[in-house]
This record gives sequence, structure tokens and C-alpha cells, in this order.
Amino acid sequence: MWSLIAADFSIYCAMRLGEGAGLLQRFALCFRSPGLLVLLVYRAGHSYLNRRANGNSSLLTLALKLTLPIARQLVIIVAKSDVASHSIIEGGVYLSDSGYLIIGPQRIGKGTLIHDRVTIGVGASGSGPPTIGENVWIGPNCVLYGDSRIGNGATVLPGTVLSMNVPDNAVAGGNPGSIVRLNFDNSRLRRTLACNVDRELLVGS
Amino acid sequence: MTSFVQASRADLQRYLGGEAASLSSILATIRRNEGLQAILVYRFGRLLDSKKELVLLWPLLSMGWCIYGLAALFVRRGYGIKLALSANIGAGFWVGHFGGIEVFNCRLAERCSVGQQTKVGGATQRDGPIIEDSVWIGAHASIAGPVRVRSRATIAPGARVTKNVPGRALVVGAPARVVAREYDNSRILPGL
Repeated sequence: MWSLIAADFSIYCAMRLGEGAGLLQRFALCFRSPGLLVLLVYRAGHSYLNRRANGNSSLLTLALKLTLPIARQLVIIVAKSDVASHSIIEGGVYLSDSGYLIIGPQRIGKGTLIHDRVTIGVGASGSGPPTIGENVWIGPNCVLYGDSRIGNGATVLPGTVLSMNVPDNAVAGGNPGSIVRLNFDNSRLRRTLACNVDRELLVGS
Repeated sequence: MTSFVQASRADLQRYLGGEAASLSSILATIRRNEGLQAILVYRFGRLLDSKKELVLLWPLLSMGWCIYGLAALFVRRGYGIKLALSANIGAGFWVGHFGGIEVFNCRLAERCSVGQQTKVGGATQRDGPIIEDSVWIGAHASIAGPVRVRSRATIAPGARVTKNVPGRALVVGAPARVVAREYDNSRILPGL
């Protein structure tokens, strides 16, 4: 759990503060980033689930049991977000500080960036939640649902409603969603928090 | 008063599902579901609104309005759920999750469902949408303007409805178009 939190923290520092931020600034970020709070509470909740499954009844488990409901309420009020504790989120994921995330995927790979107002969940007719690969970029106001797989390095454009598989490095967009382009390198998108995607850059290939 | 009790009971019943309604399970359900809290606050506001002609009750009502104002402010700011009193919502309403939900200047019949980021409403009370019973409105969907959504229709997640929707239809996309004429939504309506 602690190594995952350290990975998250270094991503948040790199995204929010840039290179060469002081120790004090880094410390202050813990209290200024709602997205980091959402991730931390998710990590605590996930660790509690694991501990309970292993029959672990230490003092920390009890402390988690007592504080988690309060922490979740805080997350709802501060960030309007809910991350299901049974999903698996690898270390080093960036969740938007603007919040409104209702996400319960099967898995999110490391290096993924998720913007605000994103819903990831089960399909209403009973299909399971999506699996999201590594280094995926998900724009604001997206809905991903159903038993689908978003490939490594994929890009989901803002405002997409998607229930289908996306191949590695592909770009998905539209409502209802479709594959807009194959083979797009999203590393530049993932480096900043800007979410205005240059359409010509995407279509012209 | 009776309509308030009946409507709240129907709302609660949808969240309880098949659970036995003991007091502890009711309280736990209210604590766990932010949407239900918002609905109960809305019902209380409508109750106060319906009693405003009774002048003798005004001292009591003003206290009620204070409580309603604080509770509605908390629900709106804390959870991001805005169920305005200008909306006329039928019994058995269901709000999924929280965040960015706006229901105003519209009429919803019984047993409707909305998800997070859903916007339902018109510019004024007269040209708001009219939604008939058992309509399922998915997350991130929006229904704007003077449109009519017929009974048992299904609005898919993210759909932008700007035209009338026939009964039992499934509409998808922005702008929304009908993709299935006979779609049975009884399975996806939560708690029914």
C-alpha cells in the first residue's frame, strides 16, 4: 500500500508542481489536491478489503474500519467522487482535482490520467465493468461502461460514451463512441492537465 | 400530508429493494444513499410548499423552511444534487450516485430513475420536459426543452434528448435517436 501511495504522490507532484518543487510545497499538496485525497481513501478502502479477506484483525484494520465511512463522506463532499474499493488501481494514476468521478472499473493500469466528470461502471443490463490499460488518457465528461477493454496507451476524447473495446494506442471519440484513429501517441497529452485536444492533429494521419 | 408520506415511502421502497423494512435497515439505507437523502429533502420542501395557503400554520412553516433551506443547501453543495421545487416528481423516484444532477422545471411521473450528471429541465416552468412513468434516464444524459418522453422509454447514458421519445423506445447518442422501438427496461429499473 505505501509503495503505491508513494507512486501516486510523485505523479501528483510532477503534474501539479513541476520540477524542483520544495519539500514544503510537496507537503502542502497533500491538503490541496482533492484528486489525491480520493486516491488515498480508495487505497485505504482497498487495503481494508484485503485485510478482511485475509482474516487480519490487527489494530490498523480496526482503525480503518472505524475511519473509512467518515473518510468516504469527506471524499463525497470535497470531491463529489466515489471510487469502488474492490477495483484494482495500480500505483501512479492521476485522478482529476475537479472531481465528479464515479468509477468502479475492474482495473486501471499505471500512468493513466482521468479528467473530471467521468463515469466508469457496469452496464445497466448486467455486464461487468471495463478494464483500463496502462498510460490511458480519458478526457472530461466521458462514460465508459460494460465489459470492455481499453488498451494500453489509448486516448478517449472528451465527451465520449463508450461500451466497446479500444485497441492499444487507438483514439476513441463521439457519442455513441467509435474508434476515431489508430496509432496515436498520447504521451504529450498525459504530460499536462490541458484537456483541449487538437482535432486536426488527431484526424490527420 | 398523505401524498408526502406515500411518495416518500415509495421512494424508500425502491432503495430498500426486497429488504425487510426494519427501522435500522431504513436508517442504514438513508445513510448509504445520497440520492435518497436528496429525494427526502425535496419531498419535505414540496410538503411545505403545498401548505402555504394555511395562514395559521405560518409560524410552523417558517421553521420548516429554515430546516429545508439548510438541508437543500447541503444536498446541493455537498452532493451536487439539485432537485428544484419547480420540478414535479412522482412517487418512487430513484437517484443513482451523486454529482452534477439537476432536475428543474419539469414533470416526472411515477417510478422514474436518473443517474449522475443528468440534467432534466427547461428554461421556464411552462416549456420544461414532461416525462411519463417508468422512464430510465442514464448517467450524463440530458433532456432539455418542451419535449415529451413517453411511458417506459429508456434514455441511454450520455444521450442528449431534444425531441419527443416514443413509449418503450431506447434512445442513444447526441442528438438522441431511437435505436430500438421495443426495449424492455423493467430489468434495469433499480428496485422494482
